[in-house]
Amino acid sequence: MAVYVYAVTGHDHPCHLDGLTGVGSDAPAVRTLESGKLRAVVSDVAGEIRPKRRDVIAHQAVLDRLMADGTPLPLQFGYIAPDDETVRRALDERAEGYLDALAAVRGCAEYNVKAGQEEDVLLRSILDGSPRASSLNEEILAGDTDPRLPLELGQLVSAEVDLRRSDASAALIRALAPLARAYVVHPPTGEDFLNLSLLVPRDGERPFLDAHAGLSRDAGPGVRTRLAGPLPPYSFVP
Amino acid sequence: MTMMPQGAGTTVRGDGAGGATSSLYDVLELILDRGLVIDVFVRVSLVGIELVKIDARIVVASVDTYLRFAEACNRLDLEAGRKAPAQLPEVVGDMLEGGSRGKTKGALGGAVEAVKQSLTGGDDETEDAQEWEEPEDEEREEPEEREEPEEEEQPVRRRRTARRPARRERE
Repeated sequence: MAVYVYAVTGHDHPCHLDGLTGVGSDAPAVRTLESGKLRAVVSDVAGEIRPKRRDVIAHQAVLDRLMADGTPLPLQFGYIAPDDETVRRALDERAEGYLDALAAVRGCAEYNVKAGQEEDVLLRSILDGSPRASSLNEEILAGDTDPRLPLELGQLVSAEVDLRRSDASAALIRALAPLARAYVVHPPTGEDFLNLSLLVPRDGERPFLDAHAGLSRDAGPGVRTRLAGPLPPYSFVP
Repeated sequence: MTMMPQGAGTTVRGDGAGGATSSLYDVLELILDRGLVIDVFVRVSLVGIELVKIDARIVVASVDTYLRFAEACNRLDLEAGRKAPAQLPEVVGDMLEGGSRGKTKGALGGAVEAVKQSLTGGDDETEDAQEWEEPEDEEREEPEEREEPEEEEQPVRRRRTARRPARRERE
């Protein structure tokens, strides 16, 4: 029977999975497969899986549970193996790599910081700070229909937006990165300008959270951050 | 700078591990995009999720961005009047109260709102009925009369492109 795979852990991880149900509409029990020094956390999958929000939440819930007792290697959402045997074989074949990866994230959790800036506040501060931009804006508002005006204004604003965002990003990274063992800057999505993942030692979480809470000054007007974590180290596995 | 409250909208349970709950939306791309991949395992078809991700990653061509920024600047002054700086504290105040996100679907916003709604729109109780495949096409409620028809079309066209089933792009 096909199995959905959530994570790889060391064999010393207690894997307290009682009561957890896995992905799929029949909510199967979550169990482990042992192989040498490693374990895979899996559940049976019958038929075709259709990705639903519930399944993403189930995936994440399993990993959250594992995080309580150690740091697993989280799998990306949506991977299944044809049967238990394939999983064991996969663990065997790359055992060393997985053990190294486990050692690299041991005692750590991922924290993800996203930052965005309120558009109106940002644009207003650009207009206020740039005489050329505000005079262009005045001309357009006064009814000048020359198409070059909005283009120049937009170009100016766009460059300024980029500049302010990269300054703000740099300030945030500078403030948080020293408190992490490693960090990765992901491409930002949507209206955010920063999407930063940090690998934070569990015993250094308090200073990290304090640092995050203290970020209220430098990052510019209207900037807000959202912190997610502690998470499984999704961004720090091979 | 404002710290957004954790756990607004859909939450992922921390299972009492002392963990903060995180917005599912905020960790979505980590769960879908990062993490260990074991090549002998098969990735299940994620058609619905591909769409959500692509939606969230729309990149606007630069000229379009310029024009939209310019428009946003004009609109800003029209709405706030010329005494804008005096009102800034109020604007910030509003923002702190968390009402701001829906208001500004400007050059920076847009598609991500739709994605967010498809994620957080329903309560957790109804999640079974909510499939990724149906990030409902929310009506864009801003058909302001504008002279330039090509710009008017922009948001619509962008969303269509986004809807096309596309291959995953990995960084």
